Amino acid sequence: MFKTLSLAAVLSLGTATLAWSADEPRHGGTFNFTAPYGSAFSTLDTHSSPNIQEQFLTFAIHRSLYSWDSNANKPVLELADSVDVSDDGTTYTYHLKKNAVFHNGKPLTADDFIFTYERLATASNALSGASYLSIIKGVEEFGSGAATEIAGLKKIDDNTLEVTLNAAGNPGFNLMEATTAIYPSDVPLEQQAINPVGLGAFKFKEHIPGSQIVVERFDDYYEEGRPYLDRVNIIVMAEGSARDVAFRNKEIDVSILGPVQYSAYQADPELKDNLLEVAETFTRNIGFSQTQVEAFKDKRVRQAINYAINSDLIIERLVKGKAVRATSWLPLGSPAFDSEAKPYPYDPEKAKELLKEAGYEDGFEFEVTATPNESWGVPIVEAILPMLAEVGVTVRPRPIESAALGSTVQSGNFQAYIWSNLTGPDPLTVMRCFWSQTPQSACNYTAYSNPEYDKIYEAARAERDPDKQLELLKQANNFIQEEAPIWFFNYNKAVMAHQPWVHGLVPNATELALQPYDDIWIDDTAPESRK
Amino acid sequence: MRLGFNLLFGGFLTAVVILAGALAPWLAPFDPVLGANLMNAELPPDSEFWFGTDSQGRDVYSRILYGAQISLTVGIVSQVINSVIGVTLGMTAGYWGGWWDDLVNGLTNVMLAIPSLIFALAVMAVLGPGLVSLLIALGLTNWSWTCRIARSSTLSLKSQGYVLAAQSLGYSDLRIMFTQILPNMMGPILVMATLGMGSAVLSEAALSFLGLGIQPPFPSWGSMLTDAREMIQLAPWVAIFPGLAIFLSVLGFNLLGDGLRDSLDPHMRTRKA
Amino acid sequence: MLRFALRRILQIIPTVIVVALLIFVIFSVVPGSFAASLFSDGRTNADPQLIARITAQFGLDKPLHERFFTYIWDLARFDLGTSFRTRLPVIQMINERMWASLELATAAMVFAIVIGVPLGFLAALRPGSVLDTVTMIGAVSGLSLPQFWLGLLMMLLFALHLNWLPSFGYGDGSFRNLILPAMALGVTPLALLARTTRAGVLDVMNSDFIRTAHAKGMSETAVVRRHVARNALVLIITTVGLQFGSLIGQAVVIEKLFAWPGIGSLLVDSVAIRDIPVVQGTILVIVLWFLVINTLVDLLYAAIDPRIKQE
Repeated sequence: MFKTLSLAAVLSLGTATLAWSADEPRHGGTFNFTAPYGSAFSTLDTHSSPNIQEQFLTFAIHRSLYSWDSNANKPVLELADSVDVSDDGTTYTYHLKKNAVFHNGKPLTADDFIFTYERLATASNALSGASYLSIIKGVEEFGSGAATEIAGLKKIDDNTLEVTLNAAGNPGFNLMEATTAIYPSDVPLEQQAINPVGLGAFKFKEHIPGSQIVVERFDDYYEEGRPYLDRVNIIVMAEGSARDVAFRNKEIDVSILGPVQYSAYQADPELKDNLLEVAETFTRNIGFSQTQVEAFKDKRVRQAINYAINSDLIIERLVKGKAVRATSWLPLGSPAFDSEAKPYPYDPEKAKELLKEAGYEDGFEFEVTATPNESWGVPIVEAILPMLAEVGVTVRPRPIESAALGSTVQSGNFQAYIWSNLTGPDPLTVMRCFWSQTPQSACNYTAYSNPEYDKIYEAARAERDPDKQLELLKQANNFIQEEAPIWFFNYNKAVMAHQPWVHGLVPNATELALQPYDDIWIDDTAPESRK
Repeated sequence: MRLGFNLLFGGFLTAVVILAGALAPWLAPFDPVLGANLMNAELPPDSEFWFGTDSQGRDVYSRILYGAQISLTVGIVSQVINSVIGVTLGMTAGYWGGWWDDLVNGLTNVMLAIPSLIFALAVMAVLGPGLVSLLIALGLTNWSWTCRIARSSTLSLKSQGYVLAAQSLGYSDLRIMFTQILPNMMGPILVMATLGMGSAVLSEAALSFLGLGIQPPFPSWGSMLTDAREMIQLAPWVAIFPGLAIFLSVLGFNLLGDGLRDSLDPHMRTRKA
Repeated sequence: MLRFALRRILQIIPTVIVVALLIFVIFSVVPGSFAASLFSDGRTNADPQLIARITAQFGLDKPLHERFFTYIWDLARFDLGTSFRTRLPVIQMINERMWASLELATAAMVFAIVIGVPLGFLAALRPGSVLDTVTMIGAVSGLSLPQFWLGLLMMLLFALHLNWLPSFGYGDGSFRNLILPAMALGVTPLALLARTTRAGVLDVMNSDFIRTAHAKGMSETAVVRRHVARNALVLIITTVGLQFGSLIGQAVVIEKLFAWPGIGSLLVDSVAIRDIPVVQGTILVIVLWFLVINTLVDLLYAAIDPRIKQE
């Protein structure tokens, strides 16, 4: 009797354990993550790099005041438990997390924020975080040396920080950036480039230049029960084909996929169930120079190009469905995206008609400055080339190295360019790119200028009611669609393949490759080397 | 026997490349650029598309035929530039000697010390990707061996009877160099140039791989191969045929060069770096 | 001998200076800039303030001649400058990457010698035989292959289809990671070594003193061991040296393909983002490496064959 009972108990215990192992995160193990955006890490001092590649490290080691909530699609408090906002919306009082400790044992205090922000704001340091801080009062004056401290930063006590902004607004979008990660005030800054110390769930172990960074579980991390993993290897792997082989060989746990691999993985029964997809907030487009090509000054010509290109076919066949057709500038995930709007249909007849009306029935020529990028570079220009030839327009790709694209476009030295531009998350910042006061060197790359548009944009900027503001931004976005200063190609659909034993990945629309390492865990079906 | 094989087989392969390039407009069933049709993307080889189609839906066979034109252009033009620079510097240095010889020698040493691929990479970065840049980059990088051969040939030819005779007749230096010396060292120079054509085609492929190749949509074999490397598993034909085209044409140039050298001077040794 | 050695070593200096000037000139006119390259992926919007600050920080707003003098002055003190990207001393970055490159080049060279030399030797002993013909066709084919195509095919075969070896990267530095890139890189020197060895051995075999040795009735093995091997060795050592010297420069493509963290991939990446001090530094180191190896080969050559010194 006793025996039977104990057997039943054992059995029920067994099922419980089984259920637990399927639903409950398992602690321990090694996660082989891949960093696909370059063949090395530029620096371990993440303040010095504005690039995604270094953020893979930042996400493991560091924390900023805010963080991005991928599920709610908005910034949320990270290093503070709560915040009090003044009635005029300019003063934010943060009650900092009391249990947050740096890897060297130092507890987080308001001094660390002031230390970090002062470093970023100093002009001679030339750090990219500076521009995010410029919303804080007194940052400009401090940066140029006119003030000895940042007027908008005040330490109330060790655990309370008061931040005063230049104008009312949500500082979360800016202060969640990886380039504003908080450094401990007692570690010399040059040490951060050699042996970085932060607040994150993992502490730095080693860096093999050009190969990988190893981070290990930080036992005193402020979030209870996190992280699950003991160790993360952040492996540098820029070559898509190398990543593909390594993933299929189960050497790596996740891999960001290009279009070709996406279609191959979808067709593979072993791989197709482990794909994580999200429409990222990037708009791929061809910008038409308003100054270099006479024909582009005519709205009908710009519209004609949008009609003449069979974008859906290119997305389906060349991009292998790894993109979402763009209607206008703002992407799918944007709060001001107009779900009613329809993209330009493929209509070569209409394009010919418009060209004829504009006086270009015999066509015209233009060059598209393009990098080798497979999703928004020369291959796309090659694909539109026969389509535009159909309506009499001759287009030639002008290949350029990736490094030269930015400076070429910013200096206005192009007839057209093809690029992928960040169009999220904050629609007000994004729509600023077509405001005539925005310089070409900032993001008004086509030097677009239209008083009517300026009126809508300025109204949106001045509007304090969030709903009305969104409505105005929606209107601005639809206006841009009609005006077609660019060819609206697509919004990137980012795809990450993961091994079946990986759990806790999130659909991060700002950048799918950035994953919260502290929520990730691997189950016991993982190979020996990961357990 | 081997001598004949090199010359014959190398000549045969080279002739195939030349014919493919020259007759491309008649042999190619499709336009290499405008013949794109995305509906036909990535079809395996069949009776319509002999070598299959690429991701843009272009006929790989047609593109390889047109690609021969580019490879030949790259090979020939870069080697003409190389030979002109190398011969001019080497011959004048050998003939005049003195400070000019020292200068040319120094320059040759510098050029030999910088790996040619790296020098070409630097030149391409300055000029930007494209066919003309590539011709200049490859034309400027590989003249040092030609220069050395031209110099040493000139040194030995300088004391030959007919050169001395021409000097005593009061011919100008340049006239002697171009009428008496140059024709007598054309053999080794031609060998160097033929072998150089092969390395130019390989360099074009390597530079394409590093992102500094020829301007698309021109179908250069190097850029076709580079574009295809992501698809080698899904659509292997897109990578295999351009790779084979490069391999066979370079093999042709190399065999032809070897064969020429053996027939011109059986004692000449491999001096290719 | 000492004077000869000293002279050869001193000859390196002017070459290095000219190379340094040449690359300074080339990269001062290169289009694009590091600051602008930070924004070319479109993942962040261009930040003119940051671009201006970076340009000022690295002194790129100064006139060309001033930058030139700074560069020369730093070089004279063996200072290769500071990387724009990592803000670390260039010399430190090169030091971090140099060893992986040396490892790869050495492995490729060992692969080439172990296979190339015996093949060339055997081919020369039986000229016109099947082995000779196959070896020589193989060698010329090896010289005609696009390296990255070969690397890619090997990656697919050995790593993916057969699953014998890791496909890429340095891993934890294990030998298994080294095999594929070393073989892909080693094919060219292998082919050259096979050809040179064969030519060198044939040359010695046809020379008078070997004919004399045969005539004296020495056995084939004895002839080969006593005379041929020693005389052909000089040529082989020269080829090995020259190849080893230039291999680091040639490895650029293979390092990129296999994500090997050597100075070749450091160079290519730095060119792409216009990290000019690193570009200049890596090229100088590659050139210096070539020159030093070459000089060593010359000295060795002179030690073996004293007639060289008189040249």
